[in-house]
Amino acid sequence: MKGQQLAKIVLWLRRMRVLTAKELLQLSRDLALMFVIIYAFTLDIYIAGSGVSLQLNQAPIVVIDADHSLASRELVYRFRPPYFRLDGEVDDASSGLRLLDEGKVMALMDIPPNFQKHLLEGQPTGVQLQIDTSNAVLGTLAASYAGQIVGKYGFDAALETVGLTEASLDTLPRIEDRHRVWYNPNQNDAWFFAIAELMTVITVLSIVLPAAATVREKERGTIEQLSVSPLSPIQILLPKVLSMMLVILLGTAVSVFLILNLAFDVPLKGSLPLFFAVTLLYVFSTAGIGLVAATMSRNLAQVGMLTIMLLAPIILLSGVWTPPEAMPPGLRQAMYFSPLYYYIEMGYGILLKGVGLNILWDSLLGLTLLGSLIFAFGVWRFKRQFG
Amino acid sequence: MRDRLFLTLAFVVPSVLMLVFGYGIILDVEKLPFAVLDQDRSEMSRDYVHQFMASRYFDYQGSVQREDELSELLADSKIRLALIIPQKFQQRLSAGQPAPVQTLIDGTFPFRAQTAKGYAIAINASTNADLLARFIARTQGITLQRAAAMVSPVRLELRYLYNQELNSRWSVAAALIMFILMVSPPFLTALGVVREKENGSIYNIFTSTVSRGEFLIGKLIPYVGISVVNVFILWFIATVLFGAPFKGDPLFFALASVVYVICTTGIGLLVSLLVKTQVAAMIMTAIITVVPSVLYSGLLIPVSSLDAAARFEAHLFPAMYYTDITLGSFIKGTGLDVLWGNVVMLLIYAIVLWTLSLFLFRKRPKV
Repeated sequence: MKGQQLAKIVLWLRRMRVLTAKELLQLSRDLALMFVIIYAFTLDIYIAGSGVSLQLNQAPIVVIDADHSLASRELVYRFRPPYFRLDGEVDDASSGLRLLDEGKVMALMDIPPNFQKHLLEGQPTGVQLQIDTSNAVLGTLAASYAGQIVGKYGFDAALETVGLTEASLDTLPRIEDRHRVWYNPNQNDAWFFAIAELMTVITVLSIVLPAAATVREKERGTIEQLSVSPLSPIQILLPKVLSMMLVILLGTAVSVFLILNLAFDVPLKGSLPLFFAVTLLYVFSTAGIGLVAATMSRNLAQVGMLTIMLLAPIILLSGVWTPPEAMPPGLRQAMYFSPLYYYIEMGYGILLKGVGLNILWDSLLGLTLLGSLIFAFGVWRFKRQFG
Repeated sequence: MRDRLFLTLAFVVPSVLMLVFGYGIILDVEKLPFAVLDQDRSEMSRDYVHQFMASRYFDYQGSVQREDELSELLADSKIRLALIIPQKFQQRLSAGQPAPVQTLIDGTFPFRAQTAKGYAIAINASTNADLLARFIARTQGITLQRAAAMVSPVRLELRYLYNQELNSRWSVAAALIMFILMVSPPFLTALGVVREKENGSIYNIFTSTVSRGEFLIGKLIPYVGISVVNVFILWFIATVLFGAPFKGDPLFFALASVVYVICTTGIGLLVSLLVKTQVAAMIMTAIITVVPSVLYSGLLIPVSSLDAAARFEAHLFPAMYYTDITLGSFIKGTGLDVLWGNVVMLLIYAIVLWTLSLFLFRKRPKV
């Protein structure tokens, strides 16, 4: 009796091994797909990390300087990189506005005549800044930095009129702003975007690859052969998921060490085994989504469309673009249904913040519950269709 | 086109993307959760903290007693900013001395960290101006009002052009049209053509008398048609649901969009000629359309702020030219007189893509 059971298990495992090897072989023969997978885990993440920056970076600005004094030049001089870049002077407002319309410059500063005179006499004076806010985020940043620059300039000018110098700052009542940015001290966008892109790539591939492997059998009719073979639906499914998991995990490892750590100096603070374990769990959960998609479609084109439909809310509700606190109330609760939400929290937590399970246990629990639910649903649908 | 799911998805996917991203991407940084460690517990420190509480940019989550509680809250993403006011805050300020205040900011989202820092600096600057004005008024014996004017002699008048309310949803909506029309037409086209390759029905074409040009055009007209309909649907969502203004010339926008859609279907066509399987077509399209349209299009970063290499790449993709057109037509209210160069670039792009496809498409592929 016991021997029989053991033999059954051995047979089961052997079938799994053979089928997993078959899936891997099939994948390795699709050269275009292999190329795409390699690209996604290396160059794609590198491009995302090195290209995107949501910081105001050398925003071009032009000036109408009607004063041409020492004071106005000093003010203009302060609009310099990294945030702004002076693109010269224009003579009148209309040619400045034309540049703004064409999108050649982002801001136009107008310094009135007698700017220096008023400043020296202690009369309040104003400079006007017109900002292109068609990109609201950068417009806000530009306004904020310009405010800081002009504020500091005014403050310095005021100290001068009162007869105080930088050195006497220690004898003034004021708040010394000592801010520190944790986890990413230089606010290096590359760290954020490279990790975000890696997680997106993992999500896309772990949905598409198993789904594609399944639908391909449907399209070619080979699924009929599989279903008349002595294999249970689970035995057909699991090798597909396992082989793709292997590929994705390998890709993730390459990406974490080669791109994140080597190319972008992401610190990798936390425990890497924990990170890979979490990744495995995540791939497993999202593969369930792929299976559901596979049962719903007849060909790969449909899988593709369905994947995009599913992917959009998953990414959106993950907190990459809009963290939970900024979400409107209804969507905030909906985030609990996006597996990526838990993975993002854990991924950034482990890699950047260096925290462990004592803090992340709730996300892990959430992902486990949601993941098993999705996977069970996928298997159920598959069984119903082919069992 | 018998494939009904495929057809509905061709229309439903773009709209869903538009709705989901339009409602979901909130780039305005507001209500940042923060916590306070007030070691001074004086009247002045409470006043100072109150400025953060009163600001709509911050959302007070409570006070803690020890510093390690703050780091735990930050690690768990429960708060994004922590404020530490050391002892003797009031004592130092009253004695005319500087008092340090520490803010700890969660840098996981660099853009949000940067904005949060800006808000904190602004609050500190206004507090400082206030403190200094009181100090000057007291030491030099002038009125507080006059001292306040002395402390901030230069006033910055900000005028927001085009998007006066700094409504990021408007910017996002206009940019999303660019993004969706960049991604969905190539997908449809590439998948549609490769599907014929995969199930072999393309051999019917190979053996028929249809010429290469006829086949390509016949194949693509439906996809261009679908995408043009989508332009209208997206335009409708942007203006009616998101309330984005449309200040430009509708006719110009419609024509420019058609040219753009011809470009993007051309990309799909090119992909379909290069790959053999639908999976590969899908992933390849995703890679060559999503990355440039997010990174090098001006969607997030204006092209003028990119570094030289990225700026070069931006000029290679059609997305950048069309972003200017959507932003111009929706928000800025500019038309052909300013944007004609962009339309010409799109036209050139379309012609190049289509000619290239014509050359690549062989009726009898080498086996």
